[in-house]
Amino acid sequence: MNAIEVAGLSRTFKNLRAVDNISFTVEAGEIFGFLGHNGAGKTTSIRMLTGQLRPTEGRAQVAGCDVLTEQPRLKPLIGVVQENQNLYERMSGRENLAFAARLYGTGSRRIDEALDHVGLIDRAPDKVQHYSNGMKQRLLIARALLHRPQIIFLDEPTRGLDPVVGRDIRRLILELSQQGVTIFLTTHYMEEADQLCGRVAFISDGRIVALDTPDNLKVAHGQKSLEARLTDGQSLTIPLDDQDAGARLAKLVSSGQIRTLHSAEATLEEVFIQITGRRLSE
Amino acid sequence: MNWGVVAAIARKDIVDAVRNRYLLVALMTPLFVALLFRVLLPGLNSLSSMTIVVHDPGASQLVSKLAASPQIKLIKAGSVEGLANEVEKSNAVGGLAIPASFDADVAAGKQPELTAYLNNKENNIKQAAFKQLLEQQVLGLVKPVPARLLWIDVAKEPGAPAPAGFNLNQMLFPLLLLITFGMSGALVVPLLLVEEKEKHTLDFLLTSPASLTEIVAGKALTGVVYSLLIAAVILALHHKLVGNWPLTLLTLLSGLLFVVAIGLFMGSLFQNTMQVNTWASLVVMVLMAPSFPMPGMSVALETASRLIPTYYFVEALKLSLAGTVSAQLWKNLTVVLGCTLLALFAATWGLRRQQN
Repeated sequence: MNAIEVAGLSRTFKNLRAVDNISFTVEAGEIFGFLGHNGAGKTTSIRMLTGQLRPTEGRAQVAGCDVLTEQPRLKPLIGVVQENQNLYERMSGRENLAFAARLYGTGSRRIDEALDHVGLIDRAPDKVQHYSNGMKQRLLIARALLHRPQIIFLDEPTRGLDPVVGRDIRRLILELSQQGVTIFLTTHYMEEADQLCGRVAFISDGRIVALDTPDNLKVAHGQKSLEARLTDGQSLTIPLDDQDAGARLAKLVSSGQIRTLHSAEATLEEVFIQITGRRLSE
Repeated sequence: MNWGVVAAIARKDIVDAVRNRYLLVALMTPLFVALLFRVLLPGLNSLSSMTIVVHDPGASQLVSKLAASPQIKLIKAGSVEGLANEVEKSNAVGGLAIPASFDADVAAGKQPELTAYLNNKENNIKQAAFKQLLEQQVLGLVKPVPARLLWIDVAKEPGAPAPAGFNLNQMLFPLLLLITFGMSGALVVPLLLVEEKEKHTLDFLLTSPASLTEIVAGKALTGVVYSLLIAAVILALHHKLVGNWPLTLLTLLSGLLFVVAIGLFMGSLFQNTMQVNTWASLVVMVLMAPSFPMPGMSVALETASRLIPTYYFVEALKLSLAGTVSAQLWKNLTVVLGCTLLALFAATWGLRRQQN
């Protein structure tokens, strides 16, 4: 069953076509990565899928609801962690969640559960303005999870966080996925997408230019080669597609010149650059 | 409309506004001003020992009403010609020359002329109090067509500057109310809305079950609650002025709803706090302008002031304070309500336009 179905979705702002005829599906329970450089159309796509922005063309169904015509039914079924840390800073962590609970009509019992889930129960009475970036990000996730959504949209959830906090957030995302929540993730970090996502879509200039599993993309677009580091300090690349690759490798091994041997498959970042001609950080 | 969502947004904003020092100061300003007026002008609301000279050959109900007040001492003048001299001689605050057919003319809706004399030797506050007393009494008497009050200065020194010419007491009450509505409605409400944009919390609200209409209604409710709370305090301080409580409250509600709607419209147009701060002071000044009565105002200025919807609020307030239920009062309230609906429509349109 598909959690998200998108067909020919486009959005134009005056003369700028921010999203151009994108189509894809996301299965229920899947972690789907939506990767692109700045201004590629990721956030515009999320805004259309979450009912914040009307598409110019095309249609999309999220959790079985049309994003244009069934917003009241859709909104309780999704949770959104936006790129900006959009919390009420003068309110405490608990007050932020209490406000969200009132909007969603969720019982207040869920507030402590959600805070506990993200490890913020001890800091719940503190004002959000005194939270670190990592704590704010965890509170955003708690707020998005409060009403137990079927699908959660995460827009750059680890951006600007230190590696330890980033790892905690990734652990949370995996936990959610294991609980059956569908996750639509945008990120700049290719390793993160590689580690978490079942499938990824590359978006560039509003268009989806590739969509597959990270492994398939790396195999299809990467270089199949081995890199041998030799005892004399030099490196040697052996393309595996060459006919004599096996013989060259056997010769090197028998000569005892090899200190270490590495698979030189392309990273997702390299695949992205190869396909789009741009870096993700652009 | 989900009223639970509206209440949740309003509750959040009501608490949050108090925690924001800037908003708190804005909300408290009308109270400070009201208290300041009371401290600096303690005699403003008192009519103690006011002496008025009257020439009333027709024994009018207006003089009967004035005579019923224990604070007013009436001196009868034998003729219109001797009235001005009597005012000066008896140190009265003013005098009244009432035509013999005054009551009959009022009943017939003829707009009879009533000549009032103002003793310029008396202090400005007493003069203003006399003016207010008389205008309220006249408004209270007449049914749809008001009598014309003609003011004549007595004991005016040659070459002396023109008297203050405005009715201080009557001016202060609508002015204080418009400051209250302006601060709560035209400053705090747009700031609350713009802050949601600046901090991107509006994006959160728009992905929550709250609809755009419910968000606008929640902000409006916040403005209404604060305006009502502060207006209630100001009303309590000026309760003696109120002639008809239900009508006065209805007028207050219509005025504050209009200013809140203007605030929502501003909030829908502006993107940051600086824009709101820049424009709100101008908007508040314009909205307050009709609460400054300016006798001798040019026709052009008079016409211009009628273009400001709060003019109709101030006019309705004067009538409701005087206890006069007239077609004019309902017309004024209808204009204010119509402008409120237009502003609300514009605010929703503005937000929807940005969303799309």
